[in-house]
Amino acid sequence: MYLKKSKSVGASSPLNGIGKQDWDARRKRKVGEITQALSVTPVDVAALRRMAISEGGLLTDEIRCRVWPKLLNVNTDNLPEKPAEDIRENHKDYHQVLLDVRRSLRRFPPGMPDEQREGLQEELIDIILYVLDRNPQLHYYQGYHDIVVTFLLVLGERLATVLVEKLSTHHLRDFMDPTMDNTKHILNYLMPIIERVNPEVHDFMQQAEVGTIFALSWLITWFGHVLSDFRHVVRLYDFFLACHPLMPIYFAAVIVLHREEEVLDCECDMASVHHLLSQIPQDLPYETLISRAGDLFVQFPPSELAREAAQQHSQQTAASTFKDFELASAQQRPDSVLRRRRKDQAMAAQAQAQSQSQAMVAVRPRAKRLVRLAVMGLTVALGAAALAVVNTALEWAPKLDLQLFP
Amino acid sequence: MESSLELTTSLPGTSLPPLRSRIFKIIVIGDSGVGKTCLTYRFCAGKFPDKTEATIGVDFREKVIEIDGEKIKVQLWDTAGQERFRKSMVQHYYRNVHAVVFVYDVTNAASFRSLPAWIEECRQHSLGQEVPRILVGNKCDLRDAVQVSTDTAQKFADSHSMPLFETSAKNPNDNDHVEAIFMTVAHKLKSQKPLVLSQPPPGMEGTMPMRKSEEEEERNAWACSC
Repeated sequence: MYLKKSKSVGASSPLNGIGKQDWDARRKRKVGEITQALSVTPVDVAALRRMAISEGGLLTDEIRCRVWPKLLNVNTDNLPEKPAEDIRENHKDYHQVLLDVRRSLRRFPPGMPDEQREGLQEELIDIILYVLDRNPQLHYYQGYHDIVVTFLLVLGERLATVLVEKLSTHHLRDFMDPTMDNTKHILNYLMPIIERVNPEVHDFMQQAEVGTIFALSWLITWFGHVLSDFRHVVRLYDFFLACHPLMPIYFAAVIVLHREEEVLDCECDMASVHHLLSQIPQDLPYETLISRAGDLFVQFPPSELAREAAQQHSQQTAASTFKDFELASAQQRPDSVLRRRRKDQAMAAQAQAQSQSQAMVAVRPRAKRLVRLAVMGLTVALGAAALAVVNTALEWAPKLDLQLFP
Repeated sequence: MESSLELTTSLPGTSLPPLRSRIFKIIVIGDSGVGKTCLTYRFCAGKFPDKTEATIGVDFREKVIEIDGEKIKVQLWDTAGQERFRKSMVQHYYRNVHAVVFVYDVTNAASFRSLPAWIEECRQHSLGQEVPRILVGNKCDLRDAVQVSTDTAQKFADSHSMPLFETSAKNPNDNDHVEAIFMTVAHKLKSQKPLVLSQPPPGMEGTMPMRKSEEEEERNAWACSC
């Protein structure tokens, strides 16, 4: 059923009004499932992750307030007090934060009274400085405020503060290094993903020397900076919070691939292609793209992308993918995971240099794709489970197997 | 190293005689919040933007202008001001740049004091002396808040052989028009003549000097402020 649903999304998204009754019914059922997952002890985090990933995500901000903390494994019993005023003047990033927050008017719902917006902007500054102050290893970057504002608008100040702190020391950690070298390194995974799926687009972009900076704001703001409809932003946040920290780069690749015709029609130079790609369409078929991004993650897990020289094992499935999740959960630093994996792979690759490896197929047979898609549901949820660090993989797997296709 | 202006040909794959239009690539740099985005937007869209946000990475804007009957594409690369973006992110965009616009905020002395660092950044990206540079003091509609006097700025500009423009992207009526500033740069670039095909056919790499420039002649006019 899961498969059938995923397949139909491409043709006609229920969210677009087609089959509305059907969607209402499913939505109701989903709310019920989420409530159920929240009510058991311990909370069924794996189920919540599946809900966050699957069609429609977590549906309402009310649900997000309850589920996002679980996805980040944050205890909401002891929320911090409001930070003292003196953080502000003393913090080295204060002026930059102030500058960026004051001009981030577009992030707030249109029609919100100025006074209310200004109050939220003050809270936004407080949250950012609070997290930075408590974590001196983290460095503010322009765009961080776009992420924090999303949490603030959904969760309110106190809850947002704890979640943002957790996120910053985990998913966003690489972006907050003293330099952006690791961010750049993560961006370097964009082109290999595109190459695997559509070599023509890849070659065209390489020839144009477009680089990857067009996707920088996508990656480091989780698309919060570029999408104008807040509903789309929170839908993506549901997805990213439930997944591996590198999922945003897969989603970025999926957007480029979605626009393959436009790209190939574009003049093949840096300016034209950069211009085209950096203007993100506002009417993207989000549910389809989310499902595709998950699909690509399973087909081309980070470890495989790092292994450019030789793809010795074509059977990359849940088990080896899980290694990535496991490592990520242990360290929560996607970049260091990638680097370590790459080092391992390079050694493995050397050993297997002679084994022929022209095997990277651009278009996989349909049947195989669908199988992969099924695996995706499993692995993404598995990875999520690993991130939550509750149980071992073996304990999770059978349970998921039963629950994945209701 | 000679600066090079580029020629683009028309759509690839067409058999029509190439429609050549020159491209002037200009990079706009300066501290965060000095108004780089507003200036470039103002020039390309002809109006002050409603709301601008922090620029993350590099934004691109373009306008086709006409000088002496020649259509020229002016590409403005609007860059992030925060320092962390500069080191590993922005260098890609310094390639083949034809001119540099340094921007500071006349109401923010710190943004003026940063200019030597921006000049140094250009140097590190191996931009030659022949690449025209201009200095723009923005936000001069905020008269009561001015922290950088025209004198001080002029001295600085002179010492670096750049023309100085003071303007306001918001309200340029009393000052140098934003449009006029970028047009000045475009004229300057047009007068520099070594040309290169943007995508030379294989085996035809290299510059094709089409006309010796009257650069020496013009340098004096360029160096003085307007």
